[in-house]
Amino acid sequence: MSRVVSFEGLWCVFEHRSGQLVNALHDVSFEVQPGEFVCVVGRSGHGKTTLLRVLAGLQPPTAGQTRLGDTVVEGPGADRAMVFQQDTVFPWLHVRDNVEFGLRALKVDDEERKSTTAHWLDAVGLTDFADSWPRELSGGMRKRVALAAAMAVGSDVILMDEPFGSLDYFTRRNLHDVLLDLWEETQKTIFFVTHDIEEALILADRVILLAEGKLVDDIPVDLPRPRDEDVRASAGAVDITKTILAHLGITEEEATQV
Amino acid sequence: MTSTDVLDVRAKAQREKRRRRIASIVYIAIGITLFFVAWVLLSLEASPWHYDIPPPFGAVGPFQDILQGVWGLFREEGAIAHFWSNLGTSQDMRIKFVHACPDLHPANVNNPFRQVASSLMGWKYTSDTAALTGGPLPVPIGQLPDYCYGYGIHLIVTIIRILLGAAFGTIAGLAIGLSSLVFPKVAQVFTPIASFFGTAPIFIAAPFFVIWFGVEVPIMTTIGLVTFYTTLLMYFFSRRAAENIPVGIVESALTLGGTPRSIFRWVYLPGTVPEIAGGFRIALAGAWGLGVLVEVLGIQVGGGHLIDIWRFLIGQLQAPSALVALITFYGVLAVVVDALLLVVIRYLTRWSEAGRRLGL
Ligand SMILES: Nc1ncnc2c1ncn2[C@@H]1O[C@H](COP(=O)(O)OP(=O)(O)OP(=O)(O)O)[C@@H](O)[C@H]1O
Ligand SMILES: [Mg+2]
Repeated sequence: MSRVVSFEGLWCVFEHRSGQLVNALHDVSFEVQPGEFVCVVGRSGHGKTTLLRVLAGLQPPTAGQTRLGDTVVEGPGADRAMVFQQDTVFPWLHVRDNVEFGLRALKVDDEERKSTTAHWLDAVGLTDFADSWPRELSGGMRKRVALAAAMAVGSDVILMDEPFGSLDYFTRRNLHDVLLDLWEETQKTIFFVTHDIEEALILADRVILLAEGKLVDDIPVDLPRPRDEDVRASAGAVDITKTILAHLGITEEEATQV
Repeated sequence: MTSTDVLDVRAKAQREKRRRRIASIVYIAIGITLFFVAWVLLSLEASPWHYDIPPPFGAVGPFQDILQGVWGLFREEGAIAHFWSNLGTSQDMRIKFVHACPDLHPANVNNPFRQVASSLMGWKYTSDTAALTGGPLPVPIGQLPDYCYGYGIHLIVTIIRILLGAAFGTIAGLAIGLSSLVFPKVAQVFTPIASFFGTAPIFIAAPFFVIWFGVEVPIMTTIGLVTFYTTLLMYFFSRRAAENIPVGIVESALTLGGTPRSIFRWVYLPGTVPEIAGGFRIALAGAWGLGVLVEVLGIQVGGGHLIDIWRFLIGQLQAPSALVALITFYGVLAVVVDALLLVVIRYLTRWSEAGRRLGL
């Protein structure tokens, strides 16, 4: 059921107002196996969001294609649910209806819809807030609503674009745990964009590094889970950090000076 | 901060709310007072702006002072007293043969609902048609029911026409506006038309509607024009409301498997309610004005027609009193309808913090 995701010679060229052309994606090719947790890392403006939007079907590539198994991606669909960087929870629907949206669109019958929704609300710890309005929730809770909504549609690929970027450290760590639990339970393929190397070390099986739209490195993260402080301080983890920093054009001293 | 302080803060907020409510009533009172002061200044011979119009209150003489005038409102010949006593049936109107039941079909005489409907349709039942169809003859003027001569029937007809027009227009405008989101072709066709007619040209076009469609078929003139006007406004409002929904939210709905239908139902429809509701209040306010304006231009039944009659009968009957009463009536009506709308809107936008704070 789960399918391989493949990017084949993707180019994505944008023309800026000044007439200058920008290669947001520059001949990107790679494959992701079912159930992998992939972190896409790169500096700001180097094509991370564009890569995810192409896979989501929200942005047609200038050249190349994306495939899910044998099917070429041509538009957005519930098989690639996405959690956005900005707040995309529907403010006019109760938390429960937010999670139910995708199931309603897919015409899942009432009973199944209710039980699925209850399951995912429980999984993200929001059962008590099912009948709240989004405005009554904190930012972290709204992210959990978005996560539950994406999980509920039952896609085998989940796309997450810096979903926790705007949250404080503790909330973020808490959501990492929630996300990893869900991932282990469901074995979904997850694409997770971040510019936080620590976050990538906590979550990823594999780090895809983008620089100026090019895939500059594809780093396996063979660290034991759970990735606690000790694991992240181990020699293997430090090596990965150094590789990433080098690709981003920053030495470790520079990074620590900031 | 203790819980007593919290109660203090709450009490303060409540006082503030009460203060604002009182202030808005005071502003309305000041506005109404200024209106009448201007009228009195225009009518008093002693005033430097004297112009030969009757005074607003009592219609007794030009040297009435304001206090006496206010008292006159409630006295026998005052506006309120006059309006009230002529609401059901009016001797003045009977003398002038002004009735709200033109050419009634005898079968409908005792059925007020069908009577209102026949006025709305502008049904004309003459002896000619009677001869043609072999039906019964029209009722002689003298046998018309009493309420045909009251002010009330005119006002009811106006209200029904305007609300009907606004309802048709709102449904049409929303249907066109929201469907244009799903089918861009609709927007391509309708936006130029809507921009051409705009809202101001509608008021200018009102006399042409009266000329084209005549005064006997208010379904095209009053109802048609109000429908057209609200359609335009609601088309603009619904499109703008939809454009204000963040792109990210729609994209998110798409990646969750949203179909055009489900996105329409769960995103566009609820998400546009606050702006559409605000727009509807504006459209309805304009619709009252447009509806009455068209009636003044010559429709034979309705509140606007009363204004038209009283304009000619100024100085006779109780023209100024009746005008004051009519203005007051429309003012109160608009405020009441708006208040009812607010209750509905508050319910529909209870998810929106901004909407609640603005008291939308
Ligand atoms: N719709 C667009 N029109 C024009 N240029 C665009 C568009 N979307 C992206 N770009 C350009 O493509 C490049 C890559 O953008 P992208 O959003 O993928 O960066 P990013 O890696 O996600 O950055 P960040 O970490 O800041 O989110 C940028 O130079 C950006 O200006
Ligand atoms: Mg981005």
